[in-house]
Amino acid sequence: MENEKIIRKEQTRERLLRLAPVMGLILLFAVFMAIAVIRDINIPYSFKNIINQSVIVVVGATGAVFIYTLGSFDISLGASLCVSALLGAMAYNRSGSLLVMLLTCVGVAVLISLISSVLASVFNLPVFVTTIAMLSLLNALALVLIGANGTGDVIQVPAAAVRGINNVWVKLAVMLIYLGFCVFMFNYTKLGRHEKFQGGNPVCAKLTGLNGKRLAIAAFAIAGIGVGLGAFLTITYAPTLSRNTASSVGMDIIISIVFGGMPVSGGARSRIWSAAIGAVSMTLLNQIMLTLSLDSGIGQMVKALIFILVVFISMSNNKGNILPR
Amino acid sequence: MIQTVEIRNMSKRFGPTIALADVSITALGGEVLGLIGENGSGKSTVTSIYAGMQHADSGEMFFMGKPWSPTSMTDALRRGVGMIVQENGTVPGITVAENIFLGETQEFTRGLFVDRKKMTAQAQKALDDIGAGHISASVPAGMLDFQDRKLVEIAKVMAKAPSVLVVDETTTALSQKGRDIIYEIMARMKAEGKTVIFISHDLDEIMEQCDRLTVLRDGKIIRTFSAEEYDPDAIRTSMIGREIQGSYYRSDYEKDAGTETVLKADDLCLSDQLVHLSMELHAGEILGIGGLSHCGMHTLGKVLFGAEHAESGSFTVHGKTIRNEAEAMKEGLGYVAKDRDSESLCTEASIRDNISVAGLDKFAVKDVLILPGREKKYVGEQVAALQIKCSSADQYVSALSGGNKQKVAFGKWTGRGSDILILDCPTRGVDIGVKQAMYRLMYRMRQEGKSILLISEELAELIGMSDRLLVMKDGSISKEFLRSPELSEADVIRCMI
Repeated sequence: MENEKIIRKEQTRERLLRLAPVMGLILLFAVFMAIAVIRDINIPYSFKNIINQSVIVVVGATGAVFIYTLGSFDISLGASLCVSALLGAMAYNRSGSLLVMLLTCVGVAVLISLISSVLASVFNLPVFVTTIAMLSLLNALALVLIGANGTGDVIQVPAAAVRGINNVWVKLAVMLIYLGFCVFMFNYTKLGRHEKFQGGNPVCAKLTGLNGKRLAIAAFAIAGIGVGLGAFLTITYAPTLSRNTASSVGMDIIISIVFGGMPVSGGARSRIWSAAIGAVSMTLLNQIMLTLSLDSGIGQMVKALIFILVVFISMSNNKGNILPR
Repeated sequence: MIQTVEIRNMSKRFGPTIALADVSITALGGEVLGLIGENGSGKSTVTSIYAGMQHADSGEMFFMGKPWSPTSMTDALRRGVGMIVQENGTVPGITVAENIFLGETQEFTRGLFVDRKKMTAQAQKALDDIGAGHISASVPAGMLDFQDRKLVEIAKVMAKAPSVLVVDETTTALSQKGRDIIYEIMARMKAEGKTVIFISHDLDEIMEQCDRLTVLRDGKIIRTFSAEEYDPDAIRTSMIGREIQGSYYRSDYEKDAGTETVLKADDLCLSDQLVHLSMELHAGEILGIGGLSHCGMHTLGKVLFGAEHAESGSFTVHGKTIRNEAEAMKEGLGYVAKDRDSESLCTEASIRDNISVAGLDKFAVKDVLILPGREKKYVGEQVAALQIKCSSADQYVSALSGGNKQKVAFGKWTGRGSDILILDCPTRGVDIGVKQAMYRLMYRMRQEGKSILLISEELAELIGMSDRLLVMKDGSISKEFLRSPELSEADVIRCMI
């Protein structure tokens, strides 16, 4: 009887820890609503802002979860998004077709991801090493593209061309379709299961017939789709692109994934929803601090403290009690 | 004799599991105290608390008559209590010397720099002192095999000259040479009036080495046997709470294994591990492979599963050449590695994930889509068939005892219906209850026409279970024995060394 009580207590504890990021999001939402009501802030407008700000990171970070699950990471995602957006804009300017722009963005981002992962496979390097090289290469490529375009420091898509799709519903639709695809792949397919197992113990995975290189390539390809969609949404939101476009997205993706409760080392306990929860939580936190007119330095400190707290909770959940028998 | 170790009324829980319930133990100077019990009985828990690895929920501890509460294993070792743990306790990316003096490099600092030469020399001396001089202190620990890494751990502990040494199921991972090193250390400590607490599942070994023997079951002390009271049957009964029915190993001696060759190796060579090795495994046969730890038998297991590649020679399964693990699995091979936690399981994943990952092609729709219901059924069947003790299939493997972990490793392959199993030391670190269950499973599989390549360092197990036994020496097969009631360990040992 007493044992059953303890089992229930342990299960509740584990469930609560697993739900901590969701509860954090709900808490932030409640705080934001309270402040909005007290300060009489235009709530629909604020929500539109939150969606606009978070949707690109949600899409990019959700795909990146596949990479993080393998225990790897990609430092070049922001630069990849920038180059994909630049080439997507150039494709639109040549073709006048939004579909061509979308396909170019996604195609380029997937290609960049594949180059990183295939190079790592060929040279037997950890994938993140090739992404470091890609970061430099892509930054240089962005400069070359802008220079070659002959339009000064920027590449522009006519604002009127993307006005029709620069609305919350289109963005939400793109995000939900991609999220649905990732959730399905991650939780209900052999690929997703293999990715988690590979991240948990690569040696055991190999001895269970899993091909680590192929899994890395698949993970990067899925992440590439997310980055490509992020590039497309970036153009629709801000049609004037420069070398600094999406400069903070790479870091935002990393922070969001961890903020959403993803185990830092990836593996079997990785969760696909982490990225979406983390990205929206981060944006809400930014909005709250903005609404409270907090000094940006203090704001950064608050974010850093919350970040450390989240990592601590996430790690304490993953340590588990090991019975030394 | 002085009472060096005293533990009074110790209790400890791990979540819902009662690991220790009011346990009291004493050990004297100049004594080797044995602890024995099934997996999960609490042997390692009580000693790991005494050695500073974790804390008890309640109870008192004394060392040399004084209250004892070490803050960590390093603290305990510095104050005279050392422990050699069951699983791998070395850091692979640093040198053997750095492992031996881990956390103590300040003792070798000269200004801002560490005097590596001095540290390596002292580490080498520590290795020489325990009889492991063949290990170079300057090489990375990751380059050593399991046995040598274990010897590094022993050297690390013995370098501090502890007054109490806990040896936790270490010998099962070692060859006879490694075991002899530990026995010698234990004998030396006993002669010097020091205390050894020795944990082992090997009843013969523990009776031979220990002056007293305490049996634990379900976190409680069941009985303490003095050397005069040693009786294997009585000890076994105390351990599992019932008499072991029937034979421990298989009892038949009929030569009824199949003649169809399912696995054939021809002239395999791989450095000094495999030297022109040829062999055949037949349907419905348990083929034992024995030898000293470095004879190449563990490498052979990996090569035959496609995980390592021979430099020359070939091998086929059902007539097909195997190039990698995936191809081996397609041909019905399964492989349980010796190093369970590192190679056979993903310990941070659930039982469900571990069992189903090898069999996704068996139950996933179109080999892609995982339907939770199908997966639950697939995993549930293995959990029930292997009697894995767990709260649910979603329990993390890291929280299971050694025996149940091994059952999960088996379940990966039995679930997908593998008809050829390569088992490398499958009963390492498991208690007699689990061992008996594993032997029964192997025998049942054999009766179903499946084939088992049993690689083991336990001669009794090889002789007791194999239809044929190949003895390896220096990468080659030195002798083949057929199953016979007359076959003795001495016959086999003669061909090993």
